[in-house]
Amino acid sequence: MAVKPKLIKERIPTPEVPVEERVKSFVEVNLGYDFASALKEAERCIQCPPEYAPCIKGCPVHINIPGFLKALRENPDNPDEAVKNALRVIWNDNTLPAVTGRVCPQEEQCEAPCVMGKVGDPINIGKLERFVADYARKHGIEEELLREFMANGDGTKGRVAVVGSGPAGLTCAGELAKMGYEVTVFEALHRPGGVLIYGIPEFRLPKEILDKEIAKLRELGVEIKLDHIVGKTVTLEELLGEYDAVFIGTGAGTPKLLNIPGILLDRIYTANEFLTRINLMKAYLFPEYDEPIAVGEKTIVIGAGNTAMDAARSALRLGTEVTIAYRRGREDMTARIEEIHHAEEEGVKFEFFLNPVEFIGDEEGRVKAVKFEKMRPLEERDRKGKRKIVGTGEYVTLEADTVIIAIGLEPNRIISEEATGLKTNPDGTLVVDENLMTSIPGVFAGGDAIRGEATVILAMGDGKRAAKAIDAYIRRKKANA
Amino acid sequence: MYKILEKKEIAMRNTWYKIHAPHVARKVQPGQFVIVRAFKNGERIPLTPVMWDREEGWIVLIVFTRGKTTARMAAELREGDEILNIAGPLGNPVEMKKFGKILAIGAYTGIVEVYPIAKAWQELGNDVTTLHVTFEPMVVLKGEMENAVGRHILETVQIDMTKSFPENMKNVTKRLTEKVRELLEKEHFDLVFMVGPSGDQRAVFEVVKEFGVPMKADLHPIMVDGTGMCGACRVTVGGEVKFACIDGPEFDAYKVDWDVLISRSGYYTDMEMMAMQEYMKVLQGGGQ
Repeated sequence: MAVKPKLIKERIPTPEVPVEERVKSFVEVNLGYDFASALKEAERCIQCPPEYAPCIKGCPVHINIPGFLKALRENPDNPDEAVKNALRVIWNDNTLPAVTGRVCPQEEQCEAPCVMGKVGDPINIGKLERFVADYARKHGIEEELLREFMANGDGTKGRVAVVGSGPAGLTCAGELAKMGYEVTVFEALHRPGGVLIYGIPEFRLPKEILDKEIAKLRELGVEIKLDHIVGKTVTLEELLGEYDAVFIGTGAGTPKLLNIPGILLDRIYTANEFLTRINLMKAYLFPEYDEPIAVGEKTIVIGAGNTAMDAARSALRLGTEVTIAYRRGREDMTARIEEIHHAEEEGVKFEFFLNPVEFIGDEEGRVKAVKFEKMRPLEERDRKGKRKIVGTGEYVTLEADTVIIAIGLEPNRIISEEATGLKTNPDGTLVVDENLMTSIPGVFAGGDAIRGEATVILAMGDGKRAAKAIDAYIRRKKANA
Repeated sequence: MYKILEKKEIAMRNTWYKIHAPHVARKVQPGQFVIVRAFKNGERIPLTPVMWDREEGWIVLIVFTRGKTTARMAAELREGDEILNIAGPLGNPVEMKKFGKILAIGAYTGIVEVYPIAKAWQELGNDVTTLHVTFEPMVVLKGEMENAVGRHILETVQIDMTKSFPENMKNVTKRLTEKVRELLEKEHFDLVFMVGPSGDQRAVFEVVKEFGVPMKADLHPIMVDGTGMCGACRVTVGGEVKFACIDGPEFDAYKVDWDVLISRSGYYTDMEMMAMQEYMKVLQGGGQ
């Protein structure tokens, strides 16, 4: 007879590094659960049946969330066994749980529709996913599972080239490897991970953890070729000659610049340059690392998405005061709530309804102030549901000796310029059909390359869908051959 | 990882590296560059393949010892060692067509970037004159240039040890502009092309402009990724912001905003000096 579950309304908290300590370094802010607290949190789940569990529907890669929480609960006295079983459930749908557990906006995805959220706090799914991945790695539980997942194939089903090693490409590669394909990933930079390596800072996603997640894909048989720029080092046509199918996950890595006077002044960075110097090149450890970075005493970050929060919090850790200036209001910010909260805690200031119109420089060509027009919101909303804004004709000038522009990104056009048969939309995103296939048969695409700037987990969802479509495509092709 | 097949000092502060990098060798075209990361904690620097063999899979890089990274490469890398990363080819190839009579100028080690371009232009039927202006002990590729193009003019400047390096560099600028003026006064050229420090490119451009001869310049702004994802290398060309790594590196010299380019290339001078000084201490201390 089923016992009526006793509801625990409040989530079990995860410890965080105190503010005064963490702003001095790039250490990870959230420390995550231990087994005992993870178990307590997992026990709050009311175990909706997988057929209609709303959390599963809310997850772009449809992880069997009640399933992995159940696995944890089934072995309260044997943490290793509990975690192994939980990880097996997660890996079925997601090979990068240490990453997604950290960077997904769960409040908009799996945790948003969680039934427990109606009566109290939703289950802390992200942190539990992260716990399973971290515990497994620390306790050497992955190896045995890797062997299980390898049993699926020996790479003889076909060969697939994946362009770009960001979240979309890595997911697609992992899924295809699990199905038994031989997969080669082509990456332009010297380290794989895409935005996970150059964009998201250590204090949100330690690079050591990312490297280990990627090493696991290599264990699954995925080969990663670095320093290869598809469109330059090798053409799409050449890839099609050598592989049965190609997946393009080249992201949206080209920064948008403000077309206003003063954009070329010294110490005006794009967020991509600033974050690449810090994350990929470790410029915050200069001169131990060779890459330099220079910030002054007052930094203004323009924009209010996740990239802006990452840039602002990174700048703060280099010892500058930071103000985020946004042209809309507080409630219009697109960054994750947790990150906005962390930024505020750490001392980032916010200025709303300010639209930059000019960067003002000193005699030496270095930025010294930003002139903004004050904006005001209208009742009317734009296509994305944000309030429209209009200028008031009033201006304000804020001092700044460093400026970071984080107003968005668009797809890099290297590959579409070279492969002229590849259809693109006016914004540079690739045109795909319902199976994520581009205008060239056998070439699939996903992530920011088709969406424009979106999220890590949507990119991963695309990578997974594309892997299934690629599998079907290659099977069909081989059956007809 | 890319093996160093040959390494030798071919002139003062100029090191020749022949490197196994088949992925670059099979595709590189004149005008394109690579991004190199030589050390684990190292930065990414843009360099230009000077020669290559597509079948054998090697490229040659000639590197001027300018700051920490290049000094460390010269001091620490040995034949048989491996370079961690070479990404490329990057950037756009130069336009390959018959311009007619071309003056291709290289200041200092800039001549090594002129070499593959001038050679290809000559092979295509252009009448190419190359001009190399540098300090006397820094002459490179003299024989190769003489074999590759119609006429190679070498102008060397003595280093005056009683004066600072920037003072000495002024003499190179002076000789450059004088020689270019002399050539343009005597002969008709259909195109002038130049690789060298931005200040010298501008100085030469000011002369060329007087004669109304078309001019292209290979720009050298600061680069990080070299693939268009950060905009560190942004320049203003014809009033528009361009990224030199994907839109260039060659641009019409008449359209370049030289003031901005020169100002932007000096952003990290202090930190570059600091890195170099730290490294000099390491070298003098015989390691750590």
